[in-house]
Amino acid sequence: MDITFNIGGEAGQGIDTIGDLLTEVFVQAGFYTFTIKDFESRIRGGYNFTQVRVSDKPIHAPVDYIDVIVALSRDAVVGQRDRLVEEGVIIFDDTIEFDDLEACHFRAPLEKIAKEVGGNIRMMNAAALGAILSVIRFPFKLAEEALNAIFGRKGEKIVAGNVAVAKALYDLTMESFAGTCRCNLDTLESGPSKDKLLLTGNRALALGAIAANLKWISSYPMSPSTSLFMDVVSYSRELNIGALQTEDEIASICMAIGASYAGARSMVTTSGGGFALMSEAVGLSAMAETPVVIYNAQRPGPSTGLPTRTEQADLFFMGFAGQGEFPRIMLAPKDPLEAFDVATRAFNLADKFQIPVMILGDQYFADSVMNVPRIDVSSVKVDRGKLAKPGPDPDYKRYLLTKDGISPRAFPGDEGKSIVSSGNVHREDGHITEDAEMRNKMVAKFMNKLPAIIESLNPPELYGDEGAEVTLLTWGSTWGAANEAMQILKDAGVSINQLHFCDIYPLRTDKLRKVLEKSKQIISVEQNVTSQFAQLVKMATGISVHHYVNKYDGRPMTARWIVEEIKEVGIK
Amino acid sequence: MTTPEQLEEPQKVTWCTGCGNFGILAALKKAVLELDTPVHNLVISSGIGCSGKIPHYIGGVNSFHTLHGRPIPIATGIHMANKNLDVIVHAGDGDTLGEGLGHLIHTARRNVNIVVFIHNNGVMGLTKGQFSPAAPRGYVSNTSPPPPGAPMAPANPVTQAITTGATYVARGFSGDQKALVKMMVEAVKHKGFAVVDILQPCQTWNRQLTWKFYNDNTYSLQENGHDVSNKLEALEKALVVEDQIPVGVFYKVDAPDLAAGIALPQDVPLKDHTTNLKDVQQIIDDLII
Repeated sequence: MDITFNIGGEAGQGIDTIGDLLTEVFVQAGFYTFTIKDFESRIRGGYNFTQVRVSDKPIHAPVDYIDVIVALSRDAVVGQRDRLVEEGVIIFDDTIEFDDLEACHFRAPLEKIAKEVGGNIRMMNAAALGAILSVIRFPFKLAEEALNAIFGRKGEKIVAGNVAVAKALYDLTMESFAGTCRCNLDTLESGPSKDKLLLTGNRALALGAIAANLKWISSYPMSPSTSLFMDVVSYSRELNIGALQTEDEIASICMAIGASYAGARSMVTTSGGGFALMSEAVGLSAMAETPVVIYNAQRPGPSTGLPTRTEQADLFFMGFAGQGEFPRIMLAPKDPLEAFDVATRAFNLADKFQIPVMILGDQYFADSVMNVPRIDVSSVKVDRGKLAKPGPDPDYKRYLLTKDGISPRAFPGDEGKSIVSSGNVHREDGHITEDAEMRNKMVAKFMNKLPAIIESLNPPELYGDEGAEVTLLTWGSTWGAANEAMQILKDAGVSINQLHFCDIYPLRTDKLRKVLEKSKQIISVEQNVTSQFAQLVKMATGISVHHYVNKYDGRPMTARWIVEEIKEVGIK
Repeated sequence: MTTPEQLEEPQKVTWCTGCGNFGILAALKKAVLELDTPVHNLVISSGIGCSGKIPHYIGGVNSFHTLHGRPIPIATGIHMANKNLDVIVHAGDGDTLGEGLGHLIHTARRNVNIVVFIHNNGVMGLTKGQFSPAAPRGYVSNTSPPPPGAPMAPANPVTQAITTGATYVARGFSGDQKALVKMMVEAVKHKGFAVVDILQPCQTWNRQLTWKFYNDNTYSLQENGHDVSNKLEALEKALVVEDQIPVGVFYKVDAPDLAAGIALPQDVPLKDHTTNLKDVQQIIDDLII
């Protein structure tokens, strides 16, 4: 089973709620779901959609063909009609006027039934759900159980009302929908999935951050990063986390650096434009060896670009932001499950090496929802790195020269120690200097951290056989679509594998060389125009990629699109 | 008890002979000796410029010599992570009225319990004499368009601080040690955002705002009767800057500070608080449908 639903309408019409309900019904029933959100940068009106893919096998990307469209506006029909599969169905509210009705159209009295049966126009969501489930012949009993569980938290009256509305539309659709749908699930039983934690990439990062003992977050709202900040704010009272919306991104990162200097784990969340404002302070974090975790939910640039859409084009920007040269780490989680782990690692790495650590997500990663297994936090370890011995030490030096370049940290308030930090070149005691020899020693101190940094990063993951002729080279959130594309090509007889990176900078090259040197055709797949990761690989190893697949229209990739692109370069 | 020996400068001072910063440094040391805060609980966050070097000329305390314009948000972060610390910002007029003016205003709005000492000399000293945001209209320098000199009015830190919500606002003079020390001590002890605009001649570059100018053109607010709780009266006095410059405390009131509105732990500083993983697990489990 592999079905995709597209629910479209104007901003503010509640399409997200219908999508959430549908997702929850399938998750409750034991299926895997993957939901993307496509919206315009406006508060009301326009045309937005939520697209839910459901399968009895794990899925990690959207597809570009739709089985059922639910349209709350005319645009939602027009915008998606071309992507409807044969025997697909379009359900639309009967308040929308159409003079060119086709057989696949189903005019459903969503608003009317919500009012008549449920007494509340807001139950239109349940009405839409009933219609959707009916056209695919989803057993109502299964849906009822799911609805009971979902609405159960909101009190019985609401459960009964919503179930009644859903049932009314379900029955009405059975009777009056004349068309046919490709999907017939009337013999469906519970699916195999036990994964009932629905997460976006941003929420998973937020959960990872709080598990990693995040104590200070300061941010300025910027799509598509804001939901992470909102989540942490919502947990802040219960967990005692300092959270502040600041006047700008410069203040955000400076506060985070200040909090970190004083001993609290801190982070900032932003998108590319906000990160541009932060870049001077990234250098301060590096020079003062004061760790900070920076999350950039990328969106298409330059400038304001496409504020609510997706791209992976800030890799170079983040990798090289800031004047001068200094170590930093960049991590790009592929999905929500990995994101939780990445967040906890980011804080440990930042403390261990006393450097800025950057997490690169993107709108697709940030907003897409999938169901994952329950996350067990008991294995999360907080490692604050090298700390000075407690107790007075008049000779304490914040930048003590050591073999590995890392000096034991102490914090203001520690009795008998004076903690002196500076963004200027400084001596071991933190006071500034222009001495050439000390400058060289301090630069060497930075560089001496590098071997251990690279050692502590994860090598890439190889999917498929090591000896395959074709290798897809991917990083971050494009993993899912590329992985599915690889499977499709593999099933078609292509000798292909996928080498995927989460830890992207500095580049760990051991496994990379091993795999790529065996590959006859390396194809990079990136959500940007200049194949930045492929360029990084070439910089670090001299290995050239043979073909480039790039998408930069702001919309996420699908496996089918990647397969077509790969076929175009002559691989079949 | 803090001793003068503890505060001895870790480095040789690089300011010019006769620099107004010497008076500020001397007053700071006296204030630190007078305060009952142990040096390990004192933090100086400084900006960039001659004023920004002050952490290197006072020993024993903690310090963070930061970026141009940014010592105030960095101080906010330090304060939030550990409310037991007394956090003092030393920054120039370029730091606080140029690059960092936004931070000054928003920190005042938040009434963050930190102190800002503005080393105000009307000139960009370390970059060799350009007009600063505090330079008077018509100030002639190597970057002000000739004639008529700086074609704009100066920023006024005192009016900015009062109107945007700072709860302790004063103006000191580097040449009046006694009054300056008293103000510094008061400002640090004040619960809320305290701003002290410190007039400070740049002996090398500023031929207009000299020791003589300030000695001739300042008067004491407190000696001439002033109600520090009256915002309008404070503003009225603060708006006069040309011939008779008031020095002293303009405004002092109580208001809720930022920390009171943030989810900080009650018993320990934020930096020493550990999130209970069981609570995190509960948050995750509540998300399971």
